[in-house]
Amino acid sequence: MTNSKTRTPAALYYFLAQSFRYPEQAWLCEPYFDLLDSIVQNLDLNNDALWLRQSYCANQEGLEILQIEHTRLFINAHPAVIAPPYSSVYLDQEGNLFGPSAVWVRKFYQQHGFELSGEGDIPDHLVLELDFIALLLDEGLYDEAEQFLNEHFRKWFPLFKKRVLSGSTNKFYYTLLTLVDFFTQEEP
Amino acid sequence: MAFQMTRRSFLQASATAALTTALSGWLASGAKAQSGFVKKPFTAPGSFGNTTTVTGGICEMCFWRCQLVGKLRDGKLVKLEGNPKSVDNGASLCARGNAGVKLLYDQDRLKFPLKNVGKRGAPVWKKISWDEALDECAARLQGVIKNNGPQGIAIFPHGASATYPMHYFEHVVGTPNNSEASFFQCRGPRDIAYINTFGVEAGESVDMPNAKAILLIGTHIGENIHVSQVKQYLKGLENGAKLIVVDPRFSASAAKADIWVQIKPGTDSAFLLAIMNYLVKKGAYDKAYVQKNGEGFDKFAKAIAHAELEWAAKICDVSAAQIKEVADLLAKSAPHVSVHPGRHVTWYGNDFQRERALACLTGLLGAIGVKGGFVKAKGPKLGKVAWPDIGVEHAEQFALHKMAEKHKFSPPGTPTEMLRNTAISGKPYSIKACVIWGQNPIQTIPGQQETIKMLQQMDFVLVVDLMPTDITMYADILLPELSYLERYDIVKTGVQWDFNDKHQQYIAPRMPLVSQVSADHQRKDSVWITNELAKRLGHAKHIPAPSAEAMVDKILAAANLTLAQIKKEDGIHLQPGSNPYGAVYPIKFFNEDLAEAGYSGAPNYTPVPEPPQGFARLVYGRVPVHTFNRTMNNVWLNAEIPENPIWLSEETAHKLGLKSGDKVNLVNQDGVVSANAVTLKVTQGIRKDTIFTAHGYGTKNPAMTNAVNKGFDEQSLITNPAVDPETGAHGMRTSFVRIMKDGKILNIPS
Ligand code: SF4
Repeated sequence: MTNSKTRTPAALYYFLAQSFRYPEQAWLCEPYFDLLDSIVQNLDLNNDALWLRQSYCANQEGLEILQIEHTRLFINAHPAVIAPPYSSVYLDQEGNLFGPSAVWVRKFYQQHGFELSGEGDIPDHLVLELDFIALLLDEGLYDEAEQFLNEHFRKWFPLFKKRVLSGSTNKFYYTLLTLVDFFTQEEP
Repeated sequence: MAFQMTRRSFLQASATAALTTALSGWLASGAKAQSGFVKKPFTAPGSFGNTTTVTGGICEMCFWRCQLVGKLRDGKLVKLEGNPKSVDNGASLCARGNAGVKLLYDQDRLKFPLKNVGKRGAPVWKKISWDEALDECAARLQGVIKNNGPQGIAIFPHGASATYPMHYFEHVVGTPNNSEASFFQCRGPRDIAYINTFGVEAGESVDMPNAKAILLIGTHIGENIHVSQVKQYLKGLENGAKLIVVDPRFSASAAKADIWVQIKPGTDSAFLLAIMNYLVKKGAYDKAYVQKNGEGFDKFAKAIAHAELEWAAKICDVSAAQIKEVADLLAKSAPHVSVHPGRHVTWYGNDFQRERALACLTGLLGAIGVKGGFVKAKGPKLGKVAWPDIGVEHAEQFALHKMAEKHKFSPPGTPTEMLRNTAISGKPYSIKACVIWGQNPIQTIPGQQETIKMLQQMDFVLVVDLMPTDITMYADILLPELSYLERYDIVKTGVQWDFNDKHQQYIAPRMPLVSQVSADHQRKDSVWITNELAKRLGHAKHIPAPSAEAMVDKILAAANLTLAQIKKEDGIHLQPGSNPYGAVYPIKFFNEDLAEAGYSGAPNYTPVPEPPQGFARLVYGRVPVHTFNRTMNNVWLNAEIPENPIWLSEETAHKLGLKSGDKVNLVNQDGVVSANAVTLKVTQGIRKDTIFTAHGYGTKNPAMTNAVNKGFDEQSLITNPAVDPETGAHGMRTSFVRIMKDGKILNIPS
């Protein structure tokens, strides 16, 4: 899809998805923080965005701190990884990757006309799920996005968020988790 | 934080100029990554989903290499089964083989190259790119080579994937300092003893299906599972073979035995010498075979002449009548006797001679090349992919055991104890880098504190593995490897499991069952990793195969095969085999080379230290659902046998007021306390002077979330390993322990 066609809500979810990719200078750039700033301001959140920008944007040391934190939270860590970003870990009994909930997610993708681009990709990664919501919104499939949130995403994201917050005080991820929560929680 | 608005109102308001500008600015910046999706119209799957069968898998949940097929549903591996075309394991897999699915999707697996920005032992990991990781490895290895020479690098490999890098470091880089766990903490004394008796490696080459008697010394088939071997063993028993099991413990094999010799640990060689002496004196050996093929028989007979039944009975704490019973049964069943060479044989530091005794006994019985005896299968011939030997001469000069003129019958590599001592002391030279590939030296090597000391004095530690095992905590750079289900690797060859069946040979290369690439990881195979290191260390021109796939194809080419062809043949190429019987080996009953080198030319018995008052000897073994520490984090296998109970004799338990189910620790002779209290198993099935547990438990790295602190690591208690004089291999059933309950230490009554 081309950028020009992307609608505002979809773009917001692409943004959230991007935020949980591995921190690299290439995307932790001025326009990223401009947008973060703008969202945070619109939401009247405490203005952490400025602090985050100063800490992590074009700042080698800050970037490394974020990379280490990302590794520790989501990849591998000592003593133990805090919160693998996969729904199976929270919803399926064995806590392995690619459990039944991941299979469900994959089927949901397929039924809505999307396939993972990599043959070996694991379907229920947080980034993929947020990207998928964006794709649905991009196509104007609001009800389907709501269904996905309702039948799947909201079941695990709060558990995931809780685990991250119990093991980390990092402001960047705190802010982003808060935003994901805001943009995915059920509304009356 | 409390929101001032709802999502809906936010989205409605999101047309605000500022946000829109920011959004389009961000989108235009190109900072958004490609989404991980492609569009594809939905087609409803049939009733089996999109299940496909992929062939070409070779199991590596242990190292027996059963042939597999995988069932894939929509890209997810849902089940592993034995390859129905297999003439080895057939359609069967053991529990571990089945549980491979859970290794593939283990959430704790290593995913990306990691750099330790904390300390060794207390790492802080940062994900880095492969380029960064490899550049750093190369620069730091190069630094050590420059300052200390290639011998300044030590390697600790284990498993099929470690072979290629191991050869690179030995043959091209030129270090002799290779400590293979499979030799120095496992099979080394066996293989070298058989080579120095028959001229061929032992393997587990006994024709059990056709045996009239099977002799197992400590081997506990049933708890130790290798599928085709278990089939051979059970077929033999089914066919009426008499089973003799020599073990201080009522093992799974002892439970099936016709004769169970509840021997005192450490004395097996005395037992074997007495049997051989008895057979020789009685003339109850295969005289024709011995006369024709035996070397040094008279010297041998003389050297063991002291080993009377009564002598051994006293040492072994069994009756002379029972030893005689065993000897008579062996003689009566000869030559159709499977004298099993064992597998993990690094027990007491007198193990080479015990293995020599087993080989000599096999020879005395004429049990070579005949039904039921020691028979080597005639497997297919394949090609080789090898690094050139440009560094070997250098390596030889710095081989520690050669410099010290010790362990003259060492298996390939350098005895671990010498290597480690050298690294710690810096004498006779410094060892400053360490490459650990698929091995977990914290649990494979006794003397953990020394191992940690060795690691701490290194300038650089590289670890390559699948899982965050205990050793990975000490890495500076930690690289993630593809598992056996995701890579090309070795070519498994062999013949049908029962020599009575039609003679067939098989060739089965390991092929990936699932995709190697995934957005979720950047694991690589060892050929790629090694080649990338070699390029950076200036050895690009020596690379023998550009990829793992190409390596396998080269190996297959010698048999006029290709991967593509074998894929068409469902992963296994079958070809006519030949009759393995009739082979004749010369038997060095007395080995002059050994004698010349200052060792005993005839198999001998060296007594081992006795447990001090109040202690029992700690011995260890396996459980059928685990392969050491490698499988401990697997959810299915972990659920099967999550911890390692401590076996204690009923009499002792009674005296100490202990009962089954009590939670106890062990304390060794040096005061080391086992880390976690585990369940006590009170049983008549163990000697009073012996305590048994299973190996591989007690993972310390919390990153192994299922395994951590389950059971205890008996290796932590083995602080006084012995070293086998001939081979330099470790002896690890050397620890003495007492029981600790509720913080109170209890003496073991004698
Ligand atoms: S014996 Fe079990 S674990 Fe070992 S290779 Fe065979 S199936 Fe795999």
